[in-house]
Amino acid sequence: MEIQYQGEHLGFGILGNILIILSFATALLSAISYYFSFNQKSEISNSWNPLARLSFGVHAVSVFGIIFLIYYLIHGHFFEYYYIWQHSNSVLPMKYMWACLWEGQEGSFLIWTFWHVVLSFIIIKKAGTWEAPVMFTMMIIQTFLASMLLGLEFGGIKIGSNPFILLRNHADFANLPFIQMADYLSKIKDGRGLNPLLQNYWMVIHPPTLFLGFAATAIPFAYAVGGMLTGRVKEWVKPALPWSLFGILILGTGVLMGGAWAYESLSFGGFWAWDPVENASLVPWLVLVGATHVMIIFNKNGTSLHSSYILCTLSFILVLYSTFLTRSGILGDTSVHAFTDLGMKGQLLIYMVFFFVLAVFLSIKNRKLLYTQSEEDPISSREFWMFMGMLILVISAIQISITTSIPVINKLFNLKMAPPADAIDFYNSWQIPLAAVIALLMSLGLYFKWKQTDMKTMAKKLLLSFVVSLLITIGVHYYFQFDRIQLVLLLFTSTWAFISNLDYFIRVLKGNIAKSGASIAHMGIAFILLGSLIANSEKTVISQNRLNVDLGKDFPNNENILLYKGDTLPMGEYYVTYKDKIKEGIHIRYEVEYLKANHTTGQFQKEFSLFPFVQLNDRMGNVSEPSTQHFIDRDIYTHVTYAELDDKEVEKNENEGYKPGKKYQLSIGDTITTSNSLVVLQSLNKDVDKDLLMLQESDLVVAANILVMDVNKKMHQANPVFILRGSEAFNRPVEISELGLRFAFIKIIPEENKFEIEVSEKEGNAREFIIMKAIIFPYINILWVGCLLMIIGTWIAIIKRIKKLRTA
Amino acid sequence: MKKMHIIGIIIIAVALAVVVSTISNSSTYAPFKTAIENEGSTFHVVGKLNKEKEFIYNPEVNANLFGFYLVDNEGLEKKVLYNGSKPQDFERSEQIVVVGKMDGDEFHASQILMKCPSKYNGNQQDQLKAVSGDTEAAS
Repeated sequence: MEIQYQGEHLGFGILGNILIILSFATALLSAISYYFSFNQKSEISNSWNPLARLSFGVHAVSVFGIIFLIYYLIHGHFFEYYYIWQHSNSVLPMKYMWACLWEGQEGSFLIWTFWHVVLSFIIIKKAGTWEAPVMFTMMIIQTFLASMLLGLEFGGIKIGSNPFILLRNHADFANLPFIQMADYLSKIKDGRGLNPLLQNYWMVIHPPTLFLGFAATAIPFAYAVGGMLTGRVKEWVKPALPWSLFGILILGTGVLMGGAWAYESLSFGGFWAWDPVENASLVPWLVLVGATHVMIIFNKNGTSLHSSYILCTLSFILVLYSTFLTRSGILGDTSVHAFTDLGMKGQLLIYMVFFFVLAVFLSIKNRKLLYTQSEEDPISSREFWMFMGMLILVISAIQISITTSIPVINKLFNLKMAPPADAIDFYNSWQIPLAAVIALLMSLGLYFKWKQTDMKTMAKKLLLSFVVSLLITIGVHYYFQFDRIQLVLLLFTSTWAFISNLDYFIRVLKGNIAKSGASIAHMGIAFILLGSLIANSEKTVISQNRLNVDLGKDFPNNENILLYKGDTLPMGEYYVTYKDKIKEGIHIRYEVEYLKANHTTGQFQKEFSLFPFVQLNDRMGNVSEPSTQHFIDRDIYTHVTYAELDDKEVEKNENEGYKPGKKYQLSIGDTITTSNSLVVLQSLNKDVDKDLLMLQESDLVVAANILVMDVNKKMHQANPVFILRGSEAFNRPVEISELGLRFAFIKIIPEENKFEIEVSEKEGNAREFIIMKAIIFPYINILWVGCLLMIIGTWIAIIKRIKKLRTA
Repeated sequence: MKKMHIIGIIIIAVALAVVVSTISNSSTYAPFKTAIENEGSTFHVVGKLNKEKEFIYNPEVNANLFGFYLVDNEGLEKKVLYNGSKPQDFERSEQIVVVGKMDGDEFHASQILMKCPSKYNGNQQDQLKAVSGDTEAAS
């Protein structure tokens, strides 16, 4: 008998599935119609175009519909749907609901599709005669992407993963006994929720930006392919150029946002770790930058057409490769944030191989036109050096790709290679020299003239910036004392790249903003290089723990420091106190106060407080997030690497809960420590008010004057008493309840002139502590300013190219 | 010879250099046995945490020394010392990759990579566990 399940809302799923099939079918239909549209010989009426546009329209509506529907389901907590259950829960704040949408693979494919649709609208509106060939490729891409959501199975081959699958139909649940109950839904109290790492504002804006960047690389690709298909082998470059600049802008911003996210909320202490996932989006960007430069060369003098074609198509194919790397599960052991395999490895591979073969086939087909060998660019021309710059970028991309692809190489050749043990160092050893060369080319680049340059004039123009940069480099090097020559080289070339481009903007362009795109963007890249150079190579871990046993130079183990609650320890120029632990919902915040010593008064002055926190998450594991204080010239990064999360502080019970005491034999003036204070035996006092203590007149009574200083430098007095009545000795302990301490004067040892004092502590005095790491990143703001300049410069360049396109 | 040809040759040479340097710098996934035979060389050892044995972590003595026992895929168990604080949720890890070298009878790890259940997208077992808690009464 069919089970009548209770409380399910199946209508949404049916609607969702209809929309998914519709989006797939209409993308395919639109692609076919566009194909016939540009192949139609008759000029009179283009009968295919309306159908192509109509099916694109339906496709667009379906994509928007799917996204809206999933968002609605997340918002309404419809946990009968697996995707909703898996990626959201009912306690999640509104602002992170969008992040649930793209936490899973299906959702992130949707975001990608969404941007293709948005960009396609612009193509249809603006591209004119290019509409059909470009849209044809875009719709083929969309067909592939839409198939990723189909969730069909043919004889064991899975096509896509459907976001509207019901929980009870999902493989993980279908065979569980409780799923057979009609009211199973009432047993599912809540969803699994969003990964705590993604509950961060960067994670709301970074993925959509990155996917827009991915989508933007598709358009130059579509122009290149469309150009080959329609025989306009040369004409495609000009209209594709603003798009590839747009791709540089958005993809670059997306990659940098990923770095900012890592810096702000991941624990590895830095913004770039050469993680495979980071690399996978950096590589297409590098290639796209190379592509754009050769396209500019082609626009100017008609050479480098073939390079333009190769690089434009390559950057899109690398985006697909990056998708393959991060989504096939192949990175498994080497990256912390790749998706797990959803069984779509084959499909992703076909997707990539299809476009690769298409691009290669079209280039062979049109080889005669593409390869037109024109005369070579003279060595003193700007185009020659731009071409060189492109080559360096490509070398850089090759190095990153090969190292990142180690898991793929292992799979292909059945090897057991692992990434280099110190991967970051390995990447840097290649990338820093390459970056130095790139920066050098950027310093010279704009001073070269197209076709031919008079070297003497050029040298004269560059002299000032060269001298200024040299002086700055010497100064900065004197200050930081870089230990590697390649760092000094990069310091010099990136400084020069900034200053010479600034000089170009002021003296050559006379501040003409409209023409300043290249110089401002180059200034930005120079600052990004300079900022990361200084911040990374000169970062200092100030939480140095000097007390530990050294395990040898290769095994330094002193970067984390133990800080007891209330203790103040020197760190760099600061003194740091762990003040308190504050629990707010799922967050435990640790208040860490940074103080500075005022030398005139001898007092500590509070500079600022940081609140690194641990986000509690039972199902997915707790995540600790650093907190960073930003200054103009530096950042102070503070991260709790370890903390006891259980609440140690037992309810303060006034009378009970003393642990067994510790006995100390002290002389006058001796100091001992307890978990929360300093204790000094100051003096003895024989003049005790016996009546007050209700003692007999004949008793021999001695009181110890004990001074107790707590962590807040507050003084307390304790006067435990030792009593000798005849031959019998006893004592009267004294308590400082505020500190949970009890003192007893046990005996006098006359021959040594010592006094035995017993100190007992309350259970609750078990000292709470955190292990923290603090790093100073000097001048990291140069990096962020660089990002802004890069964005502004690229934007100016886009506007200039669009204007040129209109006037042409 | 044309300029472009020279450039082409340079590019190929650099690409080859990249490949060679990647291969020569790459580490190897290996069991403890290989690491013991090549003491002093760096390896990636994949294994599982021995949850029976206690961790060695006394932050109040040394916050930067964390030790545990790892059983590699061949079943050999070694004590691993890591020069940092104990990673969050270490107990929960299903699979661990340690990067480092043998030193005497101990493995000195400079890096620990953990595969935690369901940290990203999750795996089946953990999800089952997560739900079965709520459903005991029902089944």
